[in-house]
Order: sequence, then C-alpha cells, then structure tokens
Amino acid sequence: MTENDSDLVLDGNAAAGLLQEIFALEITTAQIQCDTCGSVGAVGSLRLYAAPMGAVLRCPNCDARLMTAVRTPLGRWLEMTGARRLRF
Amino acid sequence: MTETAPGRRLDWQLAQVREIAVETFRVKSLLLQVPGWQGHLSGQHVDIRLTAEDGYQAQRSYSISSPPEDELLTLTVEKVDNGEVSPYLVDDLRAGDQFELRGPIGRYFVWTVATVWPLWLIAGGSCIAPLMAMLRHRARRKARIPALLIYSSRSLEDVIYREELDAMASHDPDLRVVNTLTRKQPTGWAGHRRRIDKELLADACFQPGQNPEIFVCGPTSLVETVSSLLVELGHDPLGIKTERFGPSGAAS
Amino acid sequence: MAETPISRGFKSRRAEQTPKDRLPPGQYVTTDFPVLSAGPTPQIKVESWTLALQLHGSLLRKWSWAEFEALPQTTVKTDIHCVTKWSKLDTTWQGVTFGDLLKAVGLTDPPEPYIMAHSDGGYTTNIPVADLVDGKGMIATRYEGLPVLPSHGGPARLFVPHLYFWKSAKWVRRLQFMETDEGGFWESLGYHNYGDPWKEQRYDGD
Repeated sequence: MTENDSDLVLDGNAAAGLLQEIFALEITTAQIQCDTCGSVGAVGSLRLYAAPMGAVLRCPNCDARLMTAVRTPLGRWLEMTGARRLRF
Repeated sequence: MTETAPGRRLDWQLAQVREIAVETFRVKSLLLQVPGWQGHLSGQHVDIRLTAEDGYQAQRSYSISSPPEDELLTLTVEKVDNGEVSPYLVDDLRAGDQFELRGPIGRYFVWTVATVWPLWLIAGGSCIAPLMAMLRHRARRKARIPALLIYSSRSLEDVIYREELDAMASHDPDLRVVNTLTRKQPTGWAGHRRRIDKELLADACFQPGQNPEIFVCGPTSLVETVSSLLVELGHDPLGIKTERFGPSGAAS
Repeated sequence: MAETPISRGFKSRRAEQTPKDRLPPGQYVTTDFPVLSAGPTPQIKVESWTLALQLHGSLLRKWSWAEFEALPQTTVKTDIHCVTKWSKLDTTWQGVTFGDLLKAVGLTDPPEPYIMAHSDGGYTTNIPVADLVDGKGMIATRYEGLPVLPSHGGPARLFVPHLYFWKSAKWVRRLQFMETDEGGFWESLGYHNYGDPWKEQRYDGD
C-alpha cells in the first residue's frame, strides 16, 4: 500500500499472468505498435497501470492506452483500441 | 531469445515446500518441489495462490531466484509489514506445506548464456531475486560473459545472498559485484553509501559501445531514475529491460 | 473437478480486523490511502482548470477555479470503499455538492437522468443523477482539510462515497447529462454498471 505516486506504475511483464490466460502465444515478447505515435515495442515493456483492477497497458513513449484487460467472475475482457497491431 | 515461442497454457500446479532458507531477518527463500515443472528461464516469475480453509484466496507474483539448472524451484520472499501473503510465507510456512503455483511467466525479462553481450544487472532490495537467477545460471554454466551487478540495499544486514555473491565474485574474474548501502554502513565500510546516481553508474559500468544487456529491477522510483540515467549515459533504451516491483515488494 | 488445495494455516489477516456492521461485504479496513490510477497523474494547474456542465453537446456552464471555489462549500465525513477490497473509515472531504452545481445553473430538475463524468487523461464513469443529488455526490477539492493531492485526484475529483470508489472520478473536468445510461471506462470492461458496495456489485453480473 502506498501514497507514493511513482510506485503505481509497473511493467507490462507484470500483467503477463492475466494476459497469458487470454493469448495462446507468448504475449510479453509480442511486438505492439501504438496507433497514436507509431512506436513499436514489446508488450513486456509497456507501462502497466491499475494492476489491482485489471491491466491498463500504455505506450512508454506517449502514454496512449494500448491494451486493457480485466478478469471478472464471468469471464475476461480485452480492449485493444489504441494498438494498431501485434506481432507474435 | 526466441520471440515467437508459444505460450504454454498457464495451469495451476501444486508446489510443495521442501526447504526454507533464511536470507536476512525479513527475507526467506522457499525451495519448492513442483511435480511436472516444465522448466523456466532466468528472470521469469510465477503466480502463487493460497487458499484458506474458509475458501478465501489470495494471489501474488514472485520472481524465481533459482536457475533453470536447479531441480527445486526457489522463490525469495520479503516480508512486507501489514501484507497479507508475505507474512504467511515468511513467518508461518513450514517444510511440507503446499500452495498452488502457475508459471513460468514472462519471457520478456529473461537472460540466458546463449549470448555474446555483457550482462549488466542493477537491483534494489529484494528485487535482486530474478537477477540472482541470471547470475546463478551464468555460474552454473561457467559462462565467461562479463557481468556486473550493482546492488542497492539499506544496510549490510539487508544484502540478500551476500555470501554467495561474494564467493561468486571472488572466484570469477569476469564478474564484478558493487554494493551500495543507502541507510546504514558498518564501520570501515569502503563501499558506496548512497542511492544509485549518475556518478555511481559512471564508476561501475559498461560502455554503450560494449552493447550490454541491461536489467534493472527494483522499486519503481529506483527503476525510473536508473533507466533515465542509463539513457543519459548513452545506452540504447531498447537494451534496457526493467521490472518495477510494486509497493507489495513483489512484481505485482 | 479436483478440490483446490488448502494452504495450512493461511487465513485472511484482514478478516480479523473488521468491525462487521460498518463494512460492506468482502471489505477490510486500511489506514493507508492506496493510490490506483488507470494512467499517469495529470499535472493540472488551477489557473487553467475549468469544470464544465454539459447537456448533450451544449455547454450549460463552465466554472474557473476561482468561480468554483466561490460556490457554497460542504464538508462530509464518511467511509469510502474501493472495489479492490480496502475501505477507509471516517474520511473528511470538502467541496461543492452536485445539488449546489445545479442550483448555480438555475436547474431545479436535472434535464436528464444520467451523468457521464469525464476526467483529464480520458477516464470516464457513469452515475445516475439520483445518486448525485441530495448531498450524495460532490466535486471534492479538499481531503482532511488539505487540497486533494494530484495522486488522489487533485485539484478536484468527483466524490460519490456510497458507490465503489472507482465512481469517484479523479481529475474530473466535465459532467455530461445523458438521456440513456452508458458505461464509462471500467463499466465497459466488465465492472458493474452501478457499483453498490453493500450489494457487492463489483463486476457485471453480480
């Protein structure tokens, strides 16, 4: 538990457990392209927010939201509107 | 590093505690037998799940601190005050106990000896765990890859794996271990006494031209500071992999 | 199906500390104030801060910081409940109630039954107007007598304590009346549309 703002952010790698419930292929090394700034990087290198509620993965270059995943009792949700594409 | 490796289905497996090793006064290593364990790469982590008798469950992630060469899987856990899981693991757990575990997870933050580049590791506190898996793998394979560990701890008593690291470094001319003690230093301490800063990094480093693979693991503030400094010193951001440990002390 | 293995001696430490009548089901009391955000903390300067009240596309009123601070202030002391299970008791907040915002605009009846709150950084959350009026909701600018910290939503956040705290949108900038209910950020991703902690409405389907 923290009041320190800088402790909030994690790396995409930390969301791997949740994401790997959804993706058949290894997700942390998949290359993802940001639709806002065009930069490409590994999903494991994205900035992870809101981990206790789900996974909000943002572009390390421009902070655009690339992937958001939530695990609920009824299933899993995945949104990827900010990402142009993924390459596995 | 195979980038197209298929993910395995992450099923929950049963882990049995074989041995518990005291590392420091608030850190223990749990040596686990996981039947059917398929192996892992240094740097990966696992999720563990504890179930109470009333059905209450708690789940946390911990980095694997043992190398792939070991038969038993080791997790190194720091007790977080007011935590829900770590006090149980550090204070209550006994050999013979069991919990659920799934993994290994996360091929992004891994290192193997199948490389030509130097290895540069920077750790804060208990976040040394995944980096120790890398150094142990390197030692087991007797790899001559130049390696440097910069390890920030509050005091000498807080340095996890201290004797093992000293022994590794003294027997290996290609490995350098640099400790910095940020809060309390023993009398006569000739090493660094402050948080990792530009000067400290410039003093113990690889040059950008050497193309080191850099892994930084620690509290978010350390990771962000060190990453920026490394980029300022001319290192390629793509060569820097980070694992921020949240306030709970584990990777998530 | 195999039974889930029990870990000997493990139990929820938090369960022991809870005053049961005060807490919604599944919650535990914390003395910390955990920070959870869906994105980086925006650095907002009050000199350029505005709060807008909108009806469909058109602007009903926009307040500058000075104008907003000049509105009637209300202080409440209450408990807050996060969907991640922590609750914080007896927290004191000060700000402008939604009812006073409506009065300032001359609205006795809300023109539509729902509100979508929009925040700096893109966060959104939806709330029925009935859950904002009669003192149930406010725009809070002070916590425990001090300006709300940026990490906790400052300079101004929505504050709707009778619902899970994700509804108390940080960095709120715009309140938009809606004719039909539409889910905001978390509501569109599997979280409950309403979020009553006493009915444990964490996820859609609860």
